[in-house]
Amino acid sequence: MRFVIGISILNLFVALVLSPLFEGLARKLKALVHSRIGPPVIQPYYDLLKLAGKEDLQPKDMPFARFLPGICFVTVAVAALFVPMGTGRAPLGTAGDSMFFVYIVTLVAVSMIMTAAASENPFAYIGASREVMLQLTVEPVMVIALVTAALNARSFGFGDMVDWYYFSGPSISMIIATISVFLALQAQVGKLPFDMAEAETEIAGGLFIEQSGPKYALLRWTMMAKQVIFASLFVQVFIPWPRTGNLAWDVPIHLAKVLVLVAIISVIDSVNPRLRIDQAVRYYLILVFFSLAGIAFAVIGA
Amino acid sequence: MGPVVFLFIGFLLLVAGAVLVLATHRMRRVCSWLSFSFVLPAAGCFLYLAIRVFTQGSIAMPAPLLVLPGIGASLTVSIDPLSALLLLIVAIISTCTTLFSVKYTLRYQGESLLRYYPFLLLLFASIVGVVCTRDMLFFIAFWEIMTLTSYALVVFERGNTVGLKAGFTYFLVTHIATACLIIAAIMLYIRTPAPHSFAFESLSASLGTLVAAHPGLAHLILALFFIGFITKAGVLPFGFWLPDTYPAAPSGASAAFAGTMTKLGVYGVVRVFCEILPISHHSYVWGQVIAAMGALSIFVGTLSALVQDDSKRLMSFHVIGQIGYMLLGIGLGVFLLPINPPLATIALISGVFHLLNHTMYKSCLFLNAGSILYRTGTRDLNKVGGLLRIMPFTGATAIIASLSIAGLPPFSGFSSKLLIFEASIIGGAGSPLFIVLGLVAIFISAVTLASFLKFLNTAFFGKLYAEGGIGDPKDVPLSMKIPQGVLAFLCILFGVVPLLPIRMIHSAISSILPANYSPGAGSLFGTSMPGFSLDQGQGVFGTWNPLWALIAIAILFAFGFLISRAGVARKREAETWYGGRDHEVEHVRYPSHSFYIPFKQLFSFTLGNTKFEGMYPKSFGLPKLAVPGGLKAVLDIDRWLYYPFVSGFMRLSRRFSRFHVGIPQVYVLWIIMGVIACIIVLFLLPAN
Repeated sequence: MRFVIGISILNLFVALVLSPLFEGLARKLKALVHSRIGPPVIQPYYDLLKLAGKEDLQPKDMPFARFLPGICFVTVAVAALFVPMGTGRAPLGTAGDSMFFVYIVTLVAVSMIMTAAASENPFAYIGASREVMLQLTVEPVMVIALVTAALNARSFGFGDMVDWYYFSGPSISMIIATISVFLALQAQVGKLPFDMAEAETEIAGGLFIEQSGPKYALLRWTMMAKQVIFASLFVQVFIPWPRTGNLAWDVPIHLAKVLVLVAIISVIDSVNPRLRIDQAVRYYLILVFFSLAGIAFAVIGA
Repeated sequence: MGPVVFLFIGFLLLVAGAVLVLATHRMRRVCSWLSFSFVLPAAGCFLYLAIRVFTQGSIAMPAPLLVLPGIGASLTVSIDPLSALLLLIVAIISTCTTLFSVKYTLRYQGESLLRYYPFLLLLFASIVGVVCTRDMLFFIAFWEIMTLTSYALVVFERGNTVGLKAGFTYFLVTHIATACLIIAAIMLYIRTPAPHSFAFESLSASLGTLVAAHPGLAHLILALFFIGFITKAGVLPFGFWLPDTYPAAPSGASAAFAGTMTKLGVYGVVRVFCEILPISHHSYVWGQVIAAMGALSIFVGTLSALVQDDSKRLMSFHVIGQIGYMLLGIGLGVFLLPINPPLATIALISGVFHLLNHTMYKSCLFLNAGSILYRTGTRDLNKVGGLLRIMPFTGATAIIASLSIAGLPPFSGFSSKLLIFEASIIGGAGSPLFIVLGLVAIFISAVTLASFLKFLNTAFFGKLYAEGGIGDPKDVPLSMKIPQGVLAFLCILFGVVPLLPIRMIHSAISSILPANYSPGAGSLFGTSMPGFSLDQGQGVFGTWNPLWALIAIAILFAFGFLISRAGVARKREAETWYGGRDHEVEHVRYPSHSFYIPFKQLFSFTLGNTKFEGMYPKSFGLPKLAVPGGLKAVLDIDRWLYYPFVSGFMRLSRRFSRFHVGIPQVYVLWIIMGVIACIIVLFLLPAN
């Protein structure tokens, strides 16, 4: 029990407190690619603090609307409790497995879409429609990769998957799954070339266009936490090495791996143009078929 | 008599209600409330029975109620836990839909309610009959009453020609399906030992010998049963009638159809393939067929739902899709019956659990669509918007039911979908077919979500709008709120305490499988109360325990609340800014058909002359029967006898009429020419 509470606090710390730091480093890196100096590394903290005190505009007589950004934030924090972050065990792994994780992450997207829809701005609706289409095609890629791991490990629990992959070493099926998840990450965390749901230059922030003050702070924070959670999932389940068995070493190693991955995401983000939504949908449908090959290899045990 | 007397009381109350309502001619309110006052105690009886069966075991009548010695049929009444589960569903849905109808039917001022309530009550009575009898002849008899009463409900609106046409298709198709059931039952019946019998036990024994002796014939019988049941359940391609039929009925009846009648097709499949069919190689084969048909339904039904803009038609397509999920779970279970008893039990439970959950959220969604129709007078999602502002209660229940059907935690659809996915992936390790079907189910689960986000975003969120105007800008009356509230509450209850329904369904499934076949609920699902951890005897492979997730949510919600208040930001309500211009609502709203256009285009294509929208033909015409050309010509007596004769005669008389020119000189000329001709003939004749 003390162990569970301990790593729960660790996960929440990484996902909520450290995530703006990762975002700040990513911004710095992006500035370097653009030959700019860029904001200080802790700029995202300043942003959140500033937004928290700004005036909060609410849509008129729309019930429930003011709770929705809070629900986004809560669900993303709950999602953080169901992924392993360096410890090889998800804190609440005994309460929900990888499929639960997939759905709680979908719930994050759903509450974000409802937040947008409650605002009655057509740009927000366009953003919501795009976000749903992206989810429709990215989620299967994610699920197929996790099912590949589950078939190999004969269990849907993250702990079992990590253990199995750590001890049995790389296999064709898992390499295919790894590539698929890596290609899906960019869309999952809402970065270029797949940020069409926000698309500042085109639909003026899309999903977030009507949000302001503390609500916008919560939504931005949700996006940052999501990035860290997905990066953690990727480096834990699909690249579980190296592991020492000593948490004092494993957690810093994990954070370093996440940092590298966030850096890669940021570089891809800064050198790519935005795709159109129909191009993105086609791209991911092709990726779905590619990732199915991983399942085929997993079935024959390769 | 024992507790079974409650079944008779309930049944007779429904029938008596149906008859007594006939006396309340023209008194619409009395008619409605009288029906409800009969349904409520009847539902109470069924509820009591169901709870009693789940706590104290099956109830069976020692002697049959009615015996037809000549044909060996007897009305044996028995309530095992599976019947009890269906009784529970009937009890809940009948109360909710009748109560909802009380105010809802005020919409139909031109129609007599005597064509609504009696049939609705008889529908529930016949469903009770179907689930509680253990004799195939009476099963089919009740089944037929159910079909006829539901037909009467579909054609309730006499002015609605589309509905009437859909009703006719429904009548035709379901009767073909019933014919399949009758043929299959009789084929088994004539093979029962000497005093022939329609009882399930003797049919099962006879099917057992057939499976061993004539496997081909056994397959044929199973195929007939299968087609008969899934046509009623609405599984594609046999369920093509469903999307036209369900929207035609009044919303209360649509909810009753989706909640109870559709489920009986699935109930029939479970009865026949788990109980009547002994565990054999045939289960192995038919499990794959059932699951594959289920996956086809999931795929086509749900993708078609994505392109619908009519709220009730959208729900109807989702009925098809969701029935597919149930069949996927049940098919996997039947497939695994001869191989892997623990996993087979889990899979069967997953399918039946989804049935229970679907009953709650789909009925709720039909009632939501009915409430929108009641307030705005339209089912078209392009013509409404922002109703959450005036109908917060309906909106909240719609959100809960939508998230349930989309399978999001912690609502009810999630638990059963999770079971279906994980069982099909783990069961698929031996048979890759099921992995593919399971992945289809997961992908389509996201499509379901997309479809219901469209429903919520257009109907409830956004700018308040109703093309036909809103008569009374407030929520629906209390008697319409209560049913929606009850169903939404059950969606949450079954979501956060999944182990409770799973225990009930476990007793239902193990009661129809051979004794000592399935392991106990404790070893399959764990014992930690609200949630479950799946174990087929080789370690836990999947878990979901809402308790911990809910505790985490509660703590984090408090935390999030504190954070959002920490900055002490000022709050202000404001209108949305549209660049400062004057605008009409139509100019700034995002209508339903604009959603997901690139994605919808991917799944729309033209094949021959038929246009497919979301994998489903846009206009569904029955293929026209063509008589071969030669046969048609032979049968067409007019064409080869009458018309040639008549036209020949006419030609002849027309030729004669040409001589009648009306000029005397011409007639004289004709006479002279005739005389000359006669003289020549006379001269030429040989003289004798």
